[in-house]
Amino acid sequence: MSTAKIDYKNIYYPPGGILIWILIFLELITFSAALIALAVYSRENPAAYHSSRLLLNSTYGAINTLFLLTSGFFMATSMHQLKAGNYDKSTFYLKLTMLGGVLFLILKAIEYSGKISHGLTIGYDTFFTFYWLLTLFHVIHVLVGMIILVSMYFSIKKKKENTSIEDAEAGATFWHMCDLIWLILFPVLYLIF
Amino acid sequence: MKRKDIYTLGVLFILTILTALFSNLENIKYVAFIILALSGIKFLFVAFQFMELKKAHALWKGLIIGLIVFFIGAISLIVQ
Repeated sequence: MSTAKIDYKNIYYPPGGILIWILIFLELITFSAALIALAVYSRENPAAYHSSRLLLNSTYGAINTLFLLTSGFFMATSMHQLKAGNYDKSTFYLKLTMLGGVLFLILKAIEYSGKISHGLTIGYDTFFTFYWLLTLFHVIHVLVGMIILVSMYFSIKKKKENTSIEDAEAGATFWHMCDLIWLILFPVLYLIF
Repeated sequence: MKRKDIYTLGVLFILTILTALFSNLENIKYVAFIILALSGIKFLFVAFQFMELKKAHALWKGLIIGLIVFFIGAISLIVQ
């Protein structure tokens, strides 16, 4: 495992690498633009958006927020352990990170099945079109993040020489990006209308 | 485990609970802005502490702060 000292203060080397941060900004801008569009559409018929918003279970949303935040905490801890050369502890916290992701996906699946059984599908109204598109797009990010975490887990487990700390940081940064996206999705979709 | 990360997680939990409490107060003016602002603070805690953006060049810090401030401002202005 390469643990060469990285100068994060260098403009080209933010933690995780410049490419992942460019990706993060593109993702955040995309989700922000979609949420702003949702807010603009809501002005046409605020009462309908309020009614639709009340059909969402904000408790599920809040619990999922806690799952992702806790998962992010374990991800950060796993990276600290990795940098300290504690591979076993790092993989242990990585497993807890993945558990957070799995719990998030299970609760999301329960939420989705409830919505589908009540007929609240993508074509129900404009609010639910946004809800399905944005949350499913986020779920895809979480699934990709899970694949990256599994790959990181086996890479650290085998202590592969070609796995650099920068690669691991990039994977961790991608996982944190899922938190960031959820932190802007949750209040707008579940709470403010 | 880093003590700062544990404190950060505690603050994030408290902010999430506060957000849930504020979302039940429908008759308060600017409730949408308060909810978004609390979420914005959580966003910055995750970015700066968990993603270690605090160690990065000022440009990256400025960009992430600018993005979240613009987002909260835009949504608040449209929804109010």
